[in-house]
Amino acid sequence: MAYSKKVLDHFNNPQNVGSLDKASKDVGTGVVGAPECGDVMKLQVRINDQGIIEDAKFKTFGCGSAIASSSLATEWIKGKSVEDALKIKNTDIVNELALPPIKIHCSVLAEDAIKAAVKDYLAKQAKKKSEGSDDHGNR
Amino acid sequence: MQLLDEEAQRLTALRERMFKEITKACPEVYLNGHPTKRLPGNLNLSFAYVEGESMIMGMSELAVSSGSACTSASLEPSYVLKAIGVGEELAHTSIRFGLGRFTTEEEVGFAIKKVIETVTKLRNLSPLWEMAQEGIDLKSIQWSPH
Repeated sequence: MAYSKKVLDHFNNPQNVGSLDKASKDVGTGVVGAPECGDVMKLQVRINDQGIIEDAKFKTFGCGSAIASSSLATEWIKGKSVEDALKIKNTDIVNELALPPIKIHCSVLAEDAIKAAVKDYLAKQAKKKSEGSDDHGNR
Repeated sequence: MQLLDEEAQRLTALRERMFKEITKACPEVYLNGHPTKRLPGNLNLSFAYVEGESMIMGMSELAVSSGSACTSASLEPSYVLKAIGVGEELAHTSIRFGLGRFTTEEEVGFAIKKVIETVTKLRNLSPLWEMAQEGIDLKSIQWSPH
């Protein structure tokens, strides 16, 4: 299989590899895919009070295109507002990395991973808020 | 006939060296197929938590295949491995090494080094390896097959 230069660059020198504290309230974690399908992505975001993604990390089990797609996704969302990060479409990743048709699912997974991470963060915030108001009510 | 036997012995020794040195350096590497009843020059290994195609990409100096010889271009894991009882997860992590008439000791040494480097690098990238290290049972997770 021929890989584009950009896929090779991300594969050989992946950006933002690692993990954030998944227990932290300002961190959202998305895990998408399945081991039996041959790809699993974990993408994490740390979001500040202004709704800006301050940090993003990933780990991916999958082919070179899956690793490149998630590396690119973390690069793109860092510094963006949550709103703008959610605007990233899998086709943007396909175009940037010149993914062949057989690898399009890798870009879909990366888009899903961003959404899953943001969703997890928002769920944590909603929980914090409701707990916060409970506290208030008890006082 | 004598040459044939000698060559089979030479290849078996190279294969055994590869298997021993790789499994000594990397945990959770599994041999696919029978330990002795196999072609002398064939070594098929599953590297748990590392996807096969990424292994191939990480070892671009080596000519190896994932799964069976003919299916590297497809995304499906080897149907042969599945047929001999290798689970779906481990089938996705398999690499088939072929040693031949012109494979030397030095080349095998180089390949061993490359394999160990690549497995280590890709496991650091693998969320499954991370979960396994944290003691999470991967079977207990609700995955989203796609």
